[in-house]
Parts: sequence; structure tokens; C-alpha cells
Amino acid sequence: MTDYGQDLLFGAFVTPTAAPVHQAVELAVAAEEAGLDLVTFQDHPYLPRFHDTWTLMSYAAARTSRIRLSGNVLSLPLRQPAVLARSHAALDRLTGGRIEMGLGAGAFWDGIEAMGARRLSAGQSVDALGEAIAVIRAVWDATATGPVAVRGTYYQVDGLKRGPAPAHDMSIWVGAYKPRMLRLIGRAADGVLPSLSYLEDGPSAYAGINEHIDAAARDAGRDPARIRRLLNINGTFSQFGRSFLNGPAEQWAEDLAGLTLEHGVSTFILATDDPTAIAEFAGDVAPAVRALVAAERSA
Amino acid sequence: MGHRLRFGALVTSVAQARRAEELGYDLALVRDQPDGDAWTLLSWIAGHTERIGLATAVDAAGWEPAVLGRAAASLDLLSGGRLAVALTGDHVAEVTDIVRGVLDAGEPGPLRYLGERHRVPRAQRGPLPAHRVPVWLTGNDPEDLRRAGRVADGWMADLSRLGAGELATAYKILEDAAVEAGRDGAEIHRILIVGPGLGPDELLALGADTFLVEADDPAPLTSWERLREGSGPPVCRPSSVRAKRRPGIDYEAIPASLAETAVEPGDLDYARVRSTYLRGGSPGVVLRPRTTAEVVDALAFARAHPGVPFALRSAGHGISGRSTNDGGIVLSLAAMNDIEILDPSRRLVRVGPGARWMDVARALAPHGWALSSGDYGGVGVGGLATAGGIGWLAREHGLTIDHLHAVEMVLADGTVVRASSSPDENPDLFWAVRGAGANFGVVTSFEFEVYEVGDVGFAQLVVAADDPAEVLVKWGRAIEEAPRDVSGQLIMGAPRAGQPMVAQLLAVVDHDDPETIIERLQPIAAVAPLYQQQVLLTPYLSVISNAADGGYHQGAGEPVSRSGLIRHLTPEFALAATELLNSGAVHWFQIRTVGGAVADVPADATAYAHRDANFSVAVMGSSARRVDAAWDRLRPYFDGLYLSFETGPDRVGEAFPPATLERLRALKGRYDPDNLFRDNFNIKAATR
Ligand SMILES: Cc1cc2nc3c(=O)[nH]c(=O)nc-3n(C[C@H](O)[C@H](O)[C@H](O)COP(=O)(O)OP(=O)(O)OC[C@H]3O[C@@H](n4cnc5c(N)ncnc54)[C@H](O)[C@@H]3O)c2cc1C
Repeated sequence: MTDYGQDLLFGAFVTPTAAPVHQAVELAVAAEEAGLDLVTFQDHPYLPRFHDTWTLMSYAAARTSRIRLSGNVLSLPLRQPAVLARSHAALDRLTGGRIEMGLGAGAFWDGIEAMGARRLSAGQSVDALGEAIAVIRAVWDATATGPVAVRGTYYQVDGLKRGPAPAHDMSIWVGAYKPRMLRLIGRAADGVLPSLSYLEDGPSAYAGINEHIDAAARDAGRDPARIRRLLNINGTFSQFGRSFLNGPAEQWAEDLAGLTLEHGVSTFILATDDPTAIAEFAGDVAPAVRALVAAERSA
Repeated sequence: MGHRLRFGALVTSVAQARRAEELGYDLALVRDQPDGDAWTLLSWIAGHTERIGLATAVDAAGWEPAVLGRAAASLDLLSGGRLAVALTGDHVAEVTDIVRGVLDAGEPGPLRYLGERHRVPRAQRGPLPAHRVPVWLTGNDPEDLRRAGRVADGWMADLSRLGAGELATAYKILEDAAVEAGRDGAEIHRILIVGPGLGPDELLALGADTFLVEADDPAPLTSWERLREGSGPPVCRPSSVRAKRRPGIDYEAIPASLAETAVEPGDLDYARVRSTYLRGGSPGVVLRPRTTAEVVDALAFARAHPGVPFALRSAGHGISGRSTNDGGIVLSLAAMNDIEILDPSRRLVRVGPGARWMDVARALAPHGWALSSGDYGGVGVGGLATAGGIGWLAREHGLTIDHLHAVEMVLADGTVVRASSSPDENPDLFWAVRGAGANFGVVTSFEFEVYEVGDVGFAQLVVAADDPAEVLVKWGRAIEEAPRDVSGQLIMGAPRAGQPMVAQLLAVVDHDDPETIIERLQPIAAVAPLYQQQVLLTPYLSVISNAADGGYHQGAGEPVSRSGLIRHLTPEFALAATELLNSGAVHWFQIRTVGGAVADVPADATAYAHRDANFSVAVMGSSARRVDAAWDRLRPYFDGLYLSFETGPDRVGEAFPPATLERLRALKGRYDPDNLFRDNFNIKAATR
């Protein structure tokens, strides 16, 4: 039982489809109206059926006023860390602090390579992500003296002017499953963001995720409880309970509250392009999970 | 070639951009952000503005160039075609090529680019932006200017950084380089950043077409505004686009009302409009009228090109209707897609030809109404409602045309008429439109009287068809015996080695009581052992909402489809149909139900005359020769055909019984003697 006591967030994981052009934006608006905390978009720049995720996020941010936005997750190999830092900070300032950074070390390397970027091995990509986080944090650290200097294997940034700082203490959430990446998160990131459908042993695999992160965090002198545990989920609303996240809203609530109380998962992001599912998730599931968790935590 | 003058404001915030938009500026250019990110701010501004053009300088060093291409496409799409990009930085010619290569989504194959600095092994192109995103280059050195002259759509410079004489020299270098590269020097836009105080004459003397004003806040345009008038055409096609024009079409004569929306082979939008759902096409021009008056103009243009192929298109799902062509004129009514409730008490609605049937269903659903059309929501109103309309509620409510109340049409000579059954509203034309409309004019709006439809039962069954003939006969009998609130279809494919033969049985039961629905479906489900079944109680809207939104047609080749109407599925017919399936010549065999209310209408009441059939049979294959060899054995069983499912030539005599055809030929002679409308079951005018 590892509940880190983090406040609960509920979000939507929206396909950044380019056709219909505004579908993803409309879903972001729907998520805000439904009362979700967060709307997130995947990023696959090698696929022309999707919008450029960063452009879409900036545009969707302009069409909403309260909901927070993040990539889920942005493909680091096709985006430069210093630019990621600046653009996120800029949008965070424009939105009054509604932006978080979702980062991924890269998947689908065939596609990445086809676009002109360098193919990295799994190990290399973890190291590259570590360097990128260093660059990003250095750019954001506008009050530190001297320019940004990170001389890594994958990124060499020398003499870059610092700033701007984001409007709020922006989190870096990293999509991760494997021990090396999880340890990097423990050392350097602010959250872990796996997808339930990729967890081979189902939700209970979160226990292993936590172990790696917590150990690395403690080694680095960081408080594990400050590293957010997020999860992309998918499921079906149906009249009768059939299986995990396949049933009525009350059952969803119990399934999710269980994940919070057992594994400390505090952010649930529903993968859907269906406004009705978004409304049900926000209106029925989220409050019920909050109530169940609050009751248990105060008990 | 003169460009239309445009005025822009340099902005650093959304407030300034909005102010510029209010003041009537054409463009907002986000300046380099020392402390931020210009692209992000530009995207943010896009979300906060409606009309104003958007531009920024992008330092290509911050981007993977192919990703920048994607981002440009996205922002252009999201903003509704408002983007221009000024590229800066090293190797900018290479970046320009790559960005353009990604934006050119109509080009075949992936983008492969091997430059000195940038290599893109095989990036997929797209998404297709909303318009041709102009790429501007900057730099005042001769080398920069020559590069811009070779590759850019525009050259942008800051007047404060140029000496008085330098501008003329710069233009000269620009133009010489353009000409050397085989371009028209005048097509390159000249974009100048200027101070606020210039008078109109001083401005004109600068010889640029776009002026970006440097000011703390955008000031009213006042004395500049009038310079725009008569300054140049709104659309200015570069030589590379004009080079793709087709012979025989007088492009300069495209009526002014249509020039802005017309699409030529070199245009970016060409990829969106060249093909239809089932056919690949390469028309010479696609005219896209928005109003009836523009349709009149378009027809005048078509009449002036008698030797050039001419096709009419609504939503591009034509099978018999060849709504694209090679090198000809296409009149696309896609933009005329309004749906309007005229009289709620009579459930009278007016629908534009370009609307799709799922759009119609979406507009009617909130009122509890529907109008049976076909089985596919992507099909257009224009093509279907001029031919018949065999839909999910056909047995109960008849054909779509049976609920047509009146039409507005543009005739071949450009006259706009109204047709209805009323004696003073061209009743004979109204008769012809309902079944043979494509031969008589362009229907620009349809008035339907729709009906109430609540939730319906929608069944999708898969049954064993080891003996296809038996399934056909039993299903046919079950349908004929079913109450009229049941309509449906049967689909089979060619047998495949190692797989059991199956039939898909689809049915809509217009009833919202689950028990009645099950009762109605039982005889259908009993025709053969069930492999799969799904029965939903669902709004009619969800049954017809089965097409994707937002894409465009990318059909290729030429479909082969055959149609026949038949009264009963007799054992003899069923055996012949089984042989046809076994021949492997058709990959799709589909029977839709008609009869019921369709047969209540007298045969001579509309040009769709084969009213007594209970079934409409259609097959699709790829080789006309093979399909016909198999289909000919079925022909004796048919009595007529539904033209919408037939691609064979010369079968006009089967589409219309003799008396109907005779009347149609007489009317054709009256309304379209020169045979302008000929892309769909062409009826020859009676010789007088
Ligand atoms: C997937 C699919 C499913 C279908 N299912 C059914 C079905 O269930 N029932 C059924 O009845 N039909 C069905 N059809 C046939 C369909 O009704 C016809 O192909 C129809 O012509 C398509 O209309 P459109 O406007 O989309 O076609 P378009 O390709 O735009 O037009 C086809 C032809 O119609 C004529 N036309 C178009 N607009 C006008 C106009 N405004 N005025 C005069 N003539 C015009 C022109 O001759 C044109 O060539 C189906 C077709 C497809 C591709």
C-alpha cells in the first residue's frame, strides 16, 4: 500500500487528428466544460494524419480558459529541449500557468528516422532524455547567473540565454515503463505517465513502477511523494460490471480509487474521443473517486 | 502580374493582433520574441482571432524541418488558411524545400530529400494545409536575394535597414534570379516593414505589395485603405501553377464570381477536389459556386466550352454519375449545403445539393424527424434526390423523391426555375427531376416534406450461407411478408478458399418497442444459422452517421457496377445469383429492399417508374467483361434497373420503361437540346 496522498487530477487523452480539423480542439473544450482538470494530446510527428501537437496545444489553449494542457507525451527526438523549454514557458505565461510538460524519449524509431532525426537505442534515449531535462531546467532557471551550459553527449548547449521561466512551477511528466527510465524519473522528473494498455501485468504493474522511482528518488535525496503518478486509462461504460474499467460509473470509481489507495496513482487520463464518455468520466466517475479516496484517507 | 496590396501590423501580443484585426489589417506578424517563442504566440493568436492573416519569422535552427512543415500545415488548417511563414537561419533553401515538400500533400509518394545539411529519408507528406502557405525569405545580401528569387513566394525586408537606393537594386537582383530560375519575377511578393508615418504615395513608391507597420499599437489604416482597391486580383497564381493548366479551357474567362474559389490542377486544393469517392480524376478546373447566381455563371462558362468534358458534382458519391473527368470542367456544389427548416408545422425543409445525408439527419434529429435516403451518410443530396433514394425506411416511407415537394433549378440556358407539381411551376420538369434529374439541370435546392421517426431497431446479422440460393429465397420471402416498418439489405461476397460462405443481413425496424423489434426480426434471423448478431435500439441518426467527417475523396480507377430491379427472389434467380457469386467476377453483391410504400406511387407519377419491384440488386467488380459475362445470366429475371447503381453505358432503355423514356426524350429536347447535362445516364433528345 503506497498512497502518496497526492491530490487527484482527472484528464482526457485526445487524438490530435487533423481531420476533422477542429475535432481535437472541440474535445478540449468539451473536457473543460465537463469539468476535467487536464486535457492531453499524443505526439507522433511522423504521422500526417495528426496535427503538430505543440501547435494544436497552443491553439487549444487559446480556445479554453481553465483546463490545464500537456503533451502525452511529446517526442523528444523530434523536438529540441531548449525550444521545448521556451515554448512551454511562453505558453504557460500566456495561459496563466495552465501548461505541463509531458515528455517521451521516443517510440516508433522508424518514423522518427524517416523524418530526419537520429535513431537511438533504448539506453541512449534514456541518457538523451536525462540531458534534455537538464537543459530544460536550466533554461527555466531564469534567475541563475550565467548562460545555459549543458555539454552532453546528445545535447550541447553553450551560451544560451536563460529564461523565460514558466508562470508556475511546471512539472515534467515522463512516459515510462522500464527501470532505467523510471530511475531517471526518480532522480530528475516530476511525474511518471504510463498507459494502462501497455502495462503487461495490468494495473498491478504500477507497484514495480513505484519501486524503481521511489528508490532512485530517495538516493537522490528527493521526496518520492512529490513525484506524481499518472496513468492513461481506457475503458468502456456499460450497464453491468464486466471487468476492470468496463462497467457503470460506480464501478469505474471503485477501480480507480483502488489504484490510488493501493499504488498512489493520482492522475487518471481517459483515452477517448467521445464527448459523452468525457462527460461521464468528469461528471460521474471523478467525484466518486474523490469521495472514495477522501473517505479512506481520513479514516 | 500585380498583387493586391496588403497591410499588416507587427505584433507582440494577442491584444495587438486583435486590435489589428478590428482595424481591418490583413495581416499580423509576430515579431521575434527575445523572451518567448514566436510560433507559440502565433498559434495562441490564431485561437484568439477569426480573420486576420498570420505570419511570423521562424528560425529554422529550432526545428526539425519536416516537423516544421507539419506544424505549418496544422496552424494553417486550425486558423482556416491564414498562415504565411518567413524562414530564417542557415541552410534556409534546404529548409524551404523540406517544408514545402511536407505541405505538398497532393504529391505522390513520401518526401525524400538529401541536402547538404538536412536529410529527410522518407517523410510522409501532409496534412494538406487549408491553402498554399506562402514561404517568405529574408536577407538583404545579394546571395540572400538571389535565393529568394529562386525559391521563395515572398521576400521580406525591414526598410529601416536598407539604404534609399538599395531597394531598387534588391528588386532587380530578386527578379533576375527569378527569371533565371524560370519564374515570373513579378510573382514574388515584396513584404516591407515600414514606419507608421508614410503617406499613401510614399508607400506606393516603395514598390512592395505588403506593408507591415512597426508601431507600439496598430493605428487606423485610414489613408492607406483605399490603396487596396483595384490593386490586383485576390488570387494570383504563380507560373508553376499556371504551367499545369489544361488545353481547351479559357482560364482567364472564368467568371469573376467564381475565380476566387475555382481550383486548377496546380492549386493546393486540387488534391481535395480532383477525385470522387469511387473515381480518380484530373479535371482541368473545378468551379465551386456558393449561390444560385454563381451556378448560372458557371453554366455560362460550361456552355462556352462545348468540346470540353463537363461534370456535375454534389457530394461526389456518384456511381452512374461521373462527377469527375480528365481535363474537363467540374461544377462542384459542395459549398451549397445549407439545411433550413421552412415550416415546422408541415415539416417542410429546404436542403442544398451539397449537403450529405448524415448532415441532413443531424439537422432533422432534434425535431424528431428523418428522411430516408440510402444506407450511407456520406452520399450527397444532389445525386441521390435526383435519381430515387432507396433507403433504410423505403418500404415504410417510399423513395426519397417521393417526399420531394419542390426544387429550384438552373437550366442549361441559365434560366432559374422552380419546379413542383403545381400547374404553374413546371410540373413536367418536376416529374423528370424525380428519377432523371441529372439530365435536366442543376438542382440548387430541394424542398422536402419529412416525417417523424424516433428510435429504430437496427439489426446486423451474419448468417451461414453454405447454400446461398436457399438464403436468398428465404430472406426474400421473409422480407416480402414483413410489415412495412421493416426495410433492409442482404450482402454477400465471392466465396473465399477455406472460409465459410456467409451473408450479412441488415435491417431497420421503425419501432421503438424492443419486443416488436425482436418479433419483426425473428423471421429474418431464421433464414439460416446465425454466426453473429447485434441489434441496437438507436436513433435513426446513428444508423446513417456511418461516414467519416473532414476528409476528402481519394478514389482511384473506374468502378464497375451493375443494377437490376426484381419482383421476387425466385429459386431460379437465386441459382443464377449463386453462379454469379461462384464465378468470382463480383466482389460485392447487395440486395436492398424496395416495394411497400415505393409501390404505392403510380408508375407514371415520376421518372423513376419501376415501382413494382420488391428488390434492388447491385453488384460490383473490377473487370466489366468478367462482370457482364456473369451478370448476363441474371438479366432475364430483372425488370428494369436503378440507374444510381449502374455504370454500364447504353442501358438507358432499362432504366426507364418506353413510355417514360419517350416523355423524357421530349423534355430533354425542350430543356437541354444541346445536351449540356450528359454525365449521368444521358438521355438523347427526341429529334423533332
Ligand atoms: C457507398 C455508397 C452507398 C450508396 N448507397 C445508396 C443507397 O443505399 N441508396 C441509394 O438510393 N443510392 C445509394 N448510392 C448511390 C447514390 O445515391 C448515387 O451515387 C448518388 O448519385 C450520389 O450522390 P452525390 O451527390 O454524392 O454524387 P455526385 O457524384 O456528386 O453526383 C452524381 C451525379 O448526380 C448528378 N447530380 C449531382 N448533383 C446534382 C444536382 N444538384 N442536380 C442535378 N444532378 C445532380 C450528376 O449527374 C452527378 O454526376 C450509394 C452510393 C455510394 C457510393
